[in-house]
Amino acid sequence: MALENWLEKIRERAKSALSKPALYGLDVDISEYLKPVSGESKLDTERVSEVGVDLSAKAYYTQVDQAYFRYLSKIPGVEVKRIEEFIEENPDEAREYVWKLIDPAMDKYTAIATLKGLGGYFVRVKENTRIEDPIMTCLFMSIGGLQAPHNIAIIEKGADVTIYTGCTIAPESFGLHVGITEYYVEDEATLRYIMVHSWNRVSHVRPRTAVWIKPGGKYISYYVSIGRVKTLQTYPVIYLEKNAYTYTASILLGLENSILDVGGLAYLLGEGSAAEIISRSLGKDFSRITTRARIVGKSGKGHIDCRGLLLSENSVIETIPELLAETPNVILTHEASIGKIAEDEINYLISRGFTREEAVGIIIRGFISLDIKGIPERVKKHIETIERITAEKAL
Amino acid sequence: MVISPKHIFYEVSAVKLVVEIVLKVRDLSVAISGRVIIRNNNVFVERNSVVFLLGPNGSGKSTFLKAIIGYPGVEVISGNIVFEGEDITGKPMEYRVSKGLTLAHQTPPKLTGVRMRQLLEALCKKTGCDPIEIASVLEIKHLLDREFGKGFSGGELKRAEIAMLLAQKPKLPLIDEPDSGVDVDSIEIIASAIKKLISETPYKSTIIVTHSAQISKYIKPTLTCIMVSGEIKFCGGPELLSEVFIHGFRELVRENKREG
Ligand SMILES: Nc1ncnc2c1ncn2[C@@H]1O[C@H](COP(=O)(O)OP(=O)(O)OP(=O)(O)O)[C@@H](O)[C@H]1O
Ligand SMILES: [Mg+2]
Repeated sequence: MALENWLEKIRERAKSALSKPALYGLDVDISEYLKPVSGESKLDTERVSEVGVDLSAKAYYTQVDQAYFRYLSKIPGVEVKRIEEFIEENPDEAREYVWKLIDPAMDKYTAIATLKGLGGYFVRVKENTRIEDPIMTCLFMSIGGLQAPHNIAIIEKGADVTIYTGCTIAPESFGLHVGITEYYVEDEATLRYIMVHSWNRVSHVRPRTAVWIKPGGKYISYYVSIGRVKTLQTYPVIYLEKNAYTYTASILLGLENSILDVGGLAYLLGEGSAAEIISRSLGKDFSRITTRARIVGKSGKGHIDCRGLLLSENSVIETIPELLAETPNVILTHEASIGKIAEDEINYLISRGFTREEAVGIIIRGFISLDIKGIPERVKKHIETIERITAEKAL
Repeated sequence: MVISPKHIFYEVSAVKLVVEIVLKVRDLSVAISGRVIIRNNNVFVERNSVVFLLGPNGSGKSTFLKAIIGYPGVEVISGNIVFEGEDITGKPMEYRVSKGLTLAHQTPPKLTGVRMRQLLEALCKKTGCDPIEIASVLEIKHLLDREFGKGFSGGELKRAEIAMLLAQKPKLPLIDEPDSGVDVDSIEIIASAIKKLISETPYKSTIIVTHSAQISKYIKPTLTCIMVSGEIKFCGGPELLSEVFIHGFRELVRENKREG
């Protein structure tokens, strides 16, 4: 009964926001996506492997549309289940984690996710469990319509883990994807989060993410959007307690008429906390990319580094770094640059025997390659693959 | 003596070897952004010849090498460049490099995010070489995982550049100031790498731009040319080198004029 009450309250709250536009990004008419869609939800394994998802992983969660769910964990200390299962089995605990960091009434996308969303993973990594191979999660849209999973991960004290998420869609499906993600990184724990998005030219994407990092915890996120997309807007929020650390990187490839608006907000709450928000945008064709980054600090240090590379005459890149220091105990810096590939770098590589196309490929690959510290070898391999694919697609 | 056809073959190719000219630069004048930088230059590079090009700062040595390789922005306004018998004057750099020319830059650009290892591996994949071996020849294994050119010391940059050339396996390397800002021990390393580079080319020839006598301790020029104000004033044997370092360019040019 208590559970029903709690959920009902959340739903009521969400209803009030059904027509509330998001703070950023293009306002999309979501009523289109509330209509039921027909068709059979099927997993396209080939498309899924294009976003790097390894379905043979020892711990995984797969969801197609809002209809097909498969998940498993063979790793001791790692629990993977469907969010509904978690809520039903542990209602009291669930209230501490579900819709805690994200307000269901934040905007119409969180509202629709609250009211119509289904599925999403619950991952719990037990205290001091350390695993190198990523926990694989895959969100695939086959028939389109709405996909709004709610994901929760709790990384307990001292645990060290990587979650890999690949999200993609069938080529011509009209889809609205609103992934709600709330991550909890406990004391001295490390969570690495790799997310690869490859949507299509008719899809709208509005992920809503928030992360709480307890003292000494680390959250490293690596986000890549490599496909076409009609509009994509996201603005993850990260809270850092004492000595917590976050590094978030967004690699954005703007293709055709895609409109991307990707941000990040870090709150440096505790002494010794540190945040780095990095973005690399590649503008092709007629794409428009906006990167926003904001660090609000009470203590510790923060740095924003946003770079854009225009690869076409018609693409537009905008970057908006914001720093807010609330006390003298914080050091905040930012650097940003937007331009095109330096001709002398291309010429240099041509003089080394590369073709012009190869030269551009090498420079783009260099532009998106980041020196992320403390990445296990196996995770590094995934990132290298993503870099290679991104550079190829950018050509 | 009975001359067998085999003999004739050897005789003929031996003669050819002696006279073959790999690169002919004739009456070359070059402009950058409409300003004439070098004028009426003639240089022939034969097989087995190491040409040293000396001259004061700003005299046009780098521009000369860039014109030969066809660097964009370096515009030939008269004359021509013939490599292996083919007139390449109007050809793009990409083509000339594919034919076997290459240039070691005086100051290569920094390549953000591009690791030295990645570049060497990509080149070695094309030419068949071992990046680690090349890095050890130049003693730069510690640079392999660094971004190319970023934070390299002056000497490291020179070594890195020669390593690139080794991996590239050119037919005729043009080398711009491999020894500037390089300490005595490093010069020995760079010089032996250049020797290796030359020995691996089919023609065993090169043009080296230099300001120092240091490198000639290890690599003997067969021809030394002096460029002043965009013109190669004269060329001579190895004795020219020591004269340059005793008298300086200006006096040398004056004397040479007097002598006719
Ligand atoms: N891109 C350019 N734009 C304008 N002027 C240029 C350009 N490149 C070269 N120059 C000019 O051409 C002249 C010759 O330059 P170059 O670099 O060829 O000289 P150098 O003989 O190699 O000199 P150094 O010994 O200092 O390397 C100089 O006056 C230089 O300023
Ligand atoms: Mg020069």
